[in-house]
Amino acid sequence: MLIDTVLFYIFAAMVLSGAIFTITRRSAVHSAISLICSLLGVAGLFLLQRAEFLFAVQIVLYVGGIMVLFLFVIMLVNLDLAAKARQFNRAWAVGIAAVAVVGAEMAWFLYRGRAAFHIAENGGAGLGSAAAGNTEMIADSLFSEYLLPFEIASVLLLVAVVGSVVMAKKRI
Amino acid sequence: MPVDLMPASADLIRLLPEIVLTLMGTLLMVLAAILRKRSSNAYGNLSIAALLAALGAAVYAYTRQGPAFGNMLVVDGLATFFRALVIVVGILTVLASYRFLRRQGAETGEYHALLLFSIAGQCLMAAANDLIVVFIGLEISSLASYVMVGYLRDDKRANEAALKYFLLGSFATAFFLYGVALVYGITGTINLSGVRAALTAPESCLQAGAGSVLCVQNWLAPWPIFLGVAAALLFVGLGFKVSAAPFQIWAPDVYQGAPSPVTAFLSTGPKAAAFAVFLRIFMSAFEPGGAAWEPLVWFSALASMTIGNFAALRQSNVKRMLAYSSIAHAGYVLVALTARSADGAAAVMFYLGAYAFMNIGAFAVVGHLAGKGERYQDIEDFGGLGQKQPLTAAMLTIFLLSLIGVPLTGGFFGKFYIFKAALESHLVWLTVLGLLNSAVAAYYYLRVLVMMYFREPSQAAIEAEPLRPGLRAALLVSAVATLFLGIFPNWVLDFSNKSAAMMK
Amino acid sequence: MNFLDQIWLIPLFPLLGAALMLFFGKLLDPQPVGQASGPAHHGQAEGLPHQTSLRKLIDFICPGMVLLSFVFSLGAIYQLRQLPGRVYQVIQFTWIAGLPFHMANGHLATFQADWGFLLDPLSSVMILVVTGVGFLIHVYSTGYMAHDNGYYRFFGYLNLFVFFMLMLVLANNYMLLFVGWEGVGLCSYLLIGFYFHKKSACDAGKKAFVVNRVGDAGFVLGMLLMMSVLGTVKFTDVNAILRSGQFPAETAGFGVLSAIAILMFFGATGKSAQVPLYVWLPDAMEGPTPVSALIHAATMVTAGVYMVARSAALFQLTPSASAVVAVVGAFTAILAATIALVQNDIKRVLAYSTVSQLGYMFLALGVGAYWVAIFHLFTHAFFKALLFLGSGSVIHAVGGEQDMRRMGALKNKIPITHWTMFAGSVAIAGIPGLAGFFSKDEILWQAYSSPLGSKALWFVGLATAGLTAFYMWRLMNLTFYGRSRVAPETEKHVHESPASMTVPLTLLAIGSVLAGWLGTPKLWNLGASFHKFETWLAPMFATGAAEPAGEAGHSASLEWMLMGLSVAVAIVGISIARYFYHNRPDIPDSLEKSFKPLHTLLYNKWYVDEIYDFLFVNGLGKGGGRVFGAFDRTVVDGGVNGAGWLTRFSSKVSIWWDTWIVDGAVRLTSFSVKLLSYPACLLETGRVQTYAFFVVAGLLAFFGYYIAR
Repeated sequence: MLIDTVLFYIFAAMVLSGAIFTITRRSAVHSAISLICSLLGVAGLFLLQRAEFLFAVQIVLYVGGIMVLFLFVIMLVNLDLAAKARQFNRAWAVGIAAVAVVGAEMAWFLYRGRAAFHIAENGGAGLGSAAAGNTEMIADSLFSEYLLPFEIASVLLLVAVVGSVVMAKKRI
Repeated sequence: MPVDLMPASADLIRLLPEIVLTLMGTLLMVLAAILRKRSSNAYGNLSIAALLAALGAAVYAYTRQGPAFGNMLVVDGLATFFRALVIVVGILTVLASYRFLRRQGAETGEYHALLLFSIAGQCLMAAANDLIVVFIGLEISSLASYVMVGYLRDDKRANEAALKYFLLGSFATAFFLYGVALVYGITGTINLSGVRAALTAPESCLQAGAGSVLCVQNWLAPWPIFLGVAAALLFVGLGFKVSAAPFQIWAPDVYQGAPSPVTAFLSTGPKAAAFAVFLRIFMSAFEPGGAAWEPLVWFSALASMTIGNFAALRQSNVKRMLAYSSIAHAGYVLVALTARSADGAAAVMFYLGAYAFMNIGAFAVVGHLAGKGERYQDIEDFGGLGQKQPLTAAMLTIFLLSLIGVPLTGGFFGKFYIFKAALESHLVWLTVLGLLNSAVAAYYYLRVLVMMYFREPSQAAIEAEPLRPGLRAALLVSAVATLFLGIFPNWVLDFSNKSAAMMK
Repeated sequence: MNFLDQIWLIPLFPLLGAALMLFFGKLLDPQPVGQASGPAHHGQAEGLPHQTSLRKLIDFICPGMVLLSFVFSLGAIYQLRQLPGRVYQVIQFTWIAGLPFHMANGHLATFQADWGFLLDPLSSVMILVVTGVGFLIHVYSTGYMAHDNGYYRFFGYLNLFVFFMLMLVLANNYMLLFVGWEGVGLCSYLLIGFYFHKKSACDAGKKAFVVNRVGDAGFVLGMLLMMSVLGTVKFTDVNAILRSGQFPAETAGFGVLSAIAILMFFGATGKSAQVPLYVWLPDAMEGPTPVSALIHAATMVTAGVYMVARSAALFQLTPSASAVVAVVGAFTAILAATIALVQNDIKRVLAYSTVSQLGYMFLALGVGAYWVAIFHLFTHAFFKALLFLGSGSVIHAVGGEQDMRRMGALKNKIPITHWTMFAGSVAIAGIPGLAGFFSKDEILWQAYSSPLGSKALWFVGLATAGLTAFYMWRLMNLTFYGRSRVAPETEKHVHESPASMTVPLTLLAIGSVLAGWLGTPKLWNLGASFHKFETWLAPMFATGAAEPAGEAGHSASLEWMLMGLSVAVAIVGISIARYFYHNRPDIPDSLEKSFKPLHTLLYNKWYVDEIYDFLFVNGLGKGGGRVFGAFDRTVVDGGVNGAGWLTRFSSKVSIWWDTWIVDGAVRLTSFSVKLLSYPACLLETGRVQTYAFFVVAGLLAFFGYYIAR
């Protein structure tokens, strides 16, 4: 159990520090790499929850696919100028304060309402019956209970593709 | 576990409008690639055909009411009303777009395809009975509309508007997702019927599709306010879409920058769909915990009305003024939601119906007058329109009178039912403040009327081209519908009353 | 022919006329290209052409439509007399049906409103006034507006107005009444702003519309509350419920019925120009004179009186609300009368006079004498329309001049106008034998003797009667008698108006003389036909035992004495005016000098507009500078004439009692614009980061609420 706890904090630190570096680094490459770090942390957290499938998807899709593409783009496009540009929005303090207050409030709510959460029992019950393993269970629920969301998500992706093409095309 | 991948035919029928729209949207893009033909009305005609087919599908689906896909969707009066509404909004938008796109030299299949996708997303929202479907529908609708806002890429204002809308929209949606997570944490389900069951009964079970039975306990008991927190997070995402205060801040910039037909669409279609979701979540699923979220909606209603109306007083740009006015109108609808009664839900539906017609009409006229590159958007530019184009001016008069809420127009009855519902729920202060607000609102709409009839023709009115058939049809349909709803409100009202009563 | 079955035709005719004019009028009356339409100054305007033969068609269509309505109204009323109960209700079609809702007491009720018409003695009086006086004014307009552009537009609006007004008075429920109520407001707005090139006219139109909407908010609230308490808005049902004894009279306190009554009355103060919402009516005189006569004297402004009379059953149960009505009415009557004393614009004198006479009507309503209020409405329609039309004829004669200081000695130059206006002035002053005397005297007697009345109300009414006589004869003397002060170059052009204008004047003058004989005092014992008005309306108000008891409590000699007193007051008022402005024209000037502060106060209309400016426009928005400037000026002025303190003092007092008076949203708006829209617009920085911050801030506010709770 102790190992789990320690690992949890390590991954959580990865997620948070990665995210902070993503938005504070000037160099786009550094930002992208920090983001990869953060995403890897999330993958680790999935693994800790014994969600092997999500762990794999996270690594293959985000880290392996999307982020590598990002890096290609960043390196192809010259972003040096942007890196040197002055930040025109200087309201850092306000932003940080707002985030801190929202975070604190959320924490307080979760603390205050913790009795209302019973996910562990429910989730545990689900896992207990899953002799077949997590991946198969996800497949089952995706293709039966969540068939509709699963299918229409493809429409969402189609719209995203069309949208980005329209925005990027030379001549409409 | 044996998995049957083939959905039942009833399920498919209940999803038919979305299927039709998606297929036709895809077809449009394929055709656009094959035809390679620009400046043609074919795309517009085709998308009108698609929308009419979808309208038929929605009505057909209504004859086979019930849940579909394991309670992910539900086709009932509410869903059908809003599906039909957004589809009609789509038809009017296409009609108003013909000439506009040609004038800007931007007629492509993609515009219409995106419009169809967006409407498909909104239909999905209207019928969704599960927060994940709500979310996907919301995203389909939003992604398409982000692109439509920035569709005229040479227009800097449109670019800025699209970027702002995209960034802030994604931001707000993130809060919505967090709310969904909290709902799951509280109730153990994100199915809206399941949520309602969890919040009412101490312990209850329901059929959760594919043979599995979902049993939930009323876990809210330890701290009922927690539901309010979840509601607040969901409210951020939905309130953003309907431009309700305090999440209205994007609306003026985006409405002003977007091409006028898109603004017309934006201020009615996604708004109506988001209010459909509002009704489903707040009036049905969260209804048992009403005391927790009512103050939020109360506050938001008042703030939207006040900010919208008072800021609109100062605007000289008509699109911006109408943007603020649409914030105010979102406030009126929220008043009806605050009432937390079947009457209130019916009032929401009726109002959105009336509002869709009058607002699309008003924006269509604005787009018509603005000319190439949308140069003329100022209130001064409406000077003398009454002399130069009496028909256009008369239509705009009808829309504006309806927005004011003068009797014999749909806007009057909309307001009337809303405030009646509010008063019956003993929201006396909200009613009084709302009525005062609507009195103030008369002033800025009136300014446009004064301009049109009591001033010498402006450059814009002189240059304005005659009404083309498409736009004329859009305006006539909107005006007739606005008057129809004001003189014979019964048809729509009966339907919305019936649907509202069945909702729970 | 059964006129009652064809009752729907009565409003339809003017609607038809309006539609014809607004859609096809331009064909009949082609506008000269490039020439701005505006107030053509009569007298000098003969040179302007475009009197086409097609235009003559308009002269026939529009007044003709109203005449048809009048004929149908007469027929319907004739047949109504033979009906038992004299009530005829017909429902054309259902408007809103079967809306189930929960009433305040928890019962489930079904709400319904129809397009239905209700013809009963009350509405019959109203349709006669609307169509009868309306027809005469239409005829007059064909002469008066002959030289104006937008002739067809004018008549289109005028016919549309008659349509909405008829809907208002013929409606069988409050919802449909409200349609007419808003409709006449819209037409009034369009007609006030008819000379849209004059900025003042546009502003006046807007002011009227917005002030009226503030009142409407009250009316709608009252209607909603009525719906939730009584479950219906149909007049007959409302009356039946209220008279069934289901709701006890709220004699002791202030209950829900009183709230409904007060809200509705607030709506009436907007439409009928009572304190605090009267400020729009004087400004409305920017419209063409026939409009002032028809809308702002004879018909629309009486809609509030009609509505309160229609709700008599409600007000009979709510003495405290009735008391408010009476006090507001009396206060408005005397306030407006004092302002009218010193105005120099002939139309403004008449406008304030209208406000004052409407105050009389509300006074009568407030003391429970509903038929008397309608009676005064009826007689007032004749003589006030006459006076307005007469003033229009005078203005026409002197080439657009409205300032009475530049008139005088017109008696022989425009004799018909003079004699008809003479009749109207005698009537309004309250000289026995003419219309105004009978109705006004009855109001005073009711204010004195009714159980709801009081000596104070009577005295205010009496004082107002004296003031009325004075300012009317001041007007007559300044305009028609004495020395001519007309500008020499216009002097040559002074001419009597055409027959299309003088014939309506003559007919109205006959009406002003005779109309009162339908309601002579009971004291005179002239027989049943001379009490027609009261007996005709009696079933409407079912006053029950209240009034006879009040009558019995006072002796006949007392009534004779009060009557004599009011006549005496009227004669004194007339004589003083005659003496001041005819025999010794120097007296008013010297009076003005010696009572400078008072005169200034009255001339500036008790500074009500300035106070509104001070409170709502300059007030907080423009900061202290302007205020201190105004303060300085008053102090300096005060130092100069040594009496400034009075002005200052009175305006200070006025600020106190006016703090709660809202001069409609015109001023409220500009005030609120400054206060509220700045922050609302400051948020719009255009920066997406700031916007995102506001989203978070909104969420923070929501969360904060849950933490605080």
